Amino acid sequence: MFKLPNLAVAAAAIVLAGAVQAGPLGIGSTATPEMIAGWDIDIRPDGMGLPPGRGSVAEGEPLYEAKCASCHGLFGEGEGRWPILAGGEGTLDTLHPEKTVGSYWPYASTLWDYIHRAMPYPAPQSLTDDETYAISAYVLYLNDIVDDDFVADRESFAAVKMPNEPNFYIDNRPDVQNTRCMENCADPANFTIVTTINGVTPTGHFKEDSGVAANHYGDSEPAVKAVEVAMSDAATAGKSVYDKACQACHGMGVAGAPKVGDASAWVDRIQTGMASMSSNAINGYQGPNGVMPAKGGNMSLSDEEVSMA
Amino acid sequence: MSSIRIKAKERKGMVDVKSLMKHPMETGLRKDKSGKKIPEHWIQDVTAEANGKVVFAAAFNTSISKDPYLAFAYAGAKGDTLKISWKDSNGATDSAETKVK
Repeated sequence: MFKLPNLAVAAAAIVLAGAVQAGPLGIGSTATPEMIAGWDIDIRPDGMGLPPGRGSVAEGEPLYEAKCASCHGLFGEGEGRWPILAGGEGTLDTLHPEKTVGSYWPYASTLWDYIHRAMPYPAPQSLTDDETYAISAYVLYLNDIVDDDFVADRESFAAVKMPNEPNFYIDNRPDVQNTRCMENCADPANFTIVTTINGVTPTGHFKEDSGVAANHYGDSEPAVKAVEVAMSDAATAGKSVYDKACQACHGMGVAGAPKVGDASAWVDRIQTGMASMSSNAINGYQGPNGVMPAKGGNMSLSDEEVSMA
Repeated sequence: MSSIRIKAKERKGMVDVKSLMKHPMETGLRKDKSGKKIPEHWIQDVTAEANGKVVFAAAFNTSISKDPYLAFAYAGAKGDTLKISWKDSNGATDSAETKVK
């Protein structure tokens, strides 16, 4: 079995961690090379990971008919609604694309990996390496990718080029091209959310009892202004206050604020009583709700709002 | 590579034949994205010969699916040379041969 360079490092790290943990905590054990080999069965596109062995198309045919054809069909056409393995070339850009090994898959290594790992369906990982080579070769033959005298082994199988490989490419959209910052990077603690899309991005769950500054979310400026206006005009709390101070948020339900007229949203809040509403008022956005009842305006204002709406 | 794949197996004097023909089988009734009709292109006649003698013949029509799968049986023996051929509406033909197992 192969070892990736970074896998070796990872394995070393596991060993190290295992040694450290096993001391004080007394749990876990170091993974043995056999344990790692049991998981380390992936095959990479360049053929890395393919074990020694060989299998021909001719050897694959009876194996395929015995183990695969009952679902995938004698010719890879798929029995019933089981997956189709062959055909479908040129259908990918049509209304009914048929994704098969030949029409879609970019690398043959996936075939070996998948058959070895997951097939046959009722008995996965029951095939030997040679059988897997033979069946893989036969499936390639069903797709006209190799000739009937093809013999698959480590070298020849890795050299198989799949017809659809050129149609796979690395994401070329501009926002995936950023180079990774490795030093003198911005401090995440200074990051703030400048805005969210009102009414689309759910932000309500940040507010109540969460301790997260709700004025980071949604339309924060009107909320701050609302505190000032509500405090100075509390005695005349009414429609004009509402229009100036509250509608900015409550009119549209910005930042999770309960909408005027949305009676069910208000009932719970009012029933919690003024004390808890005040105690919930930690910061800017909750501010108006907390400050206003202290001035004696909340209940009437809410009722008024509800009735107005 | 031929457009026809054949598997033929003898059992108790009967030969089970299974075959798959790669063919678009366009009916001529479908339209493409620009609204133009896709010209018809379908297999008309299929013939199977064992050792030169016709054992199966079919007249296909536009109701047959794309890449038709055809299975039939005939009284025959191991080692027969089975040849399946088709002719389509464009006048094109194809054929494939196999030995009965």
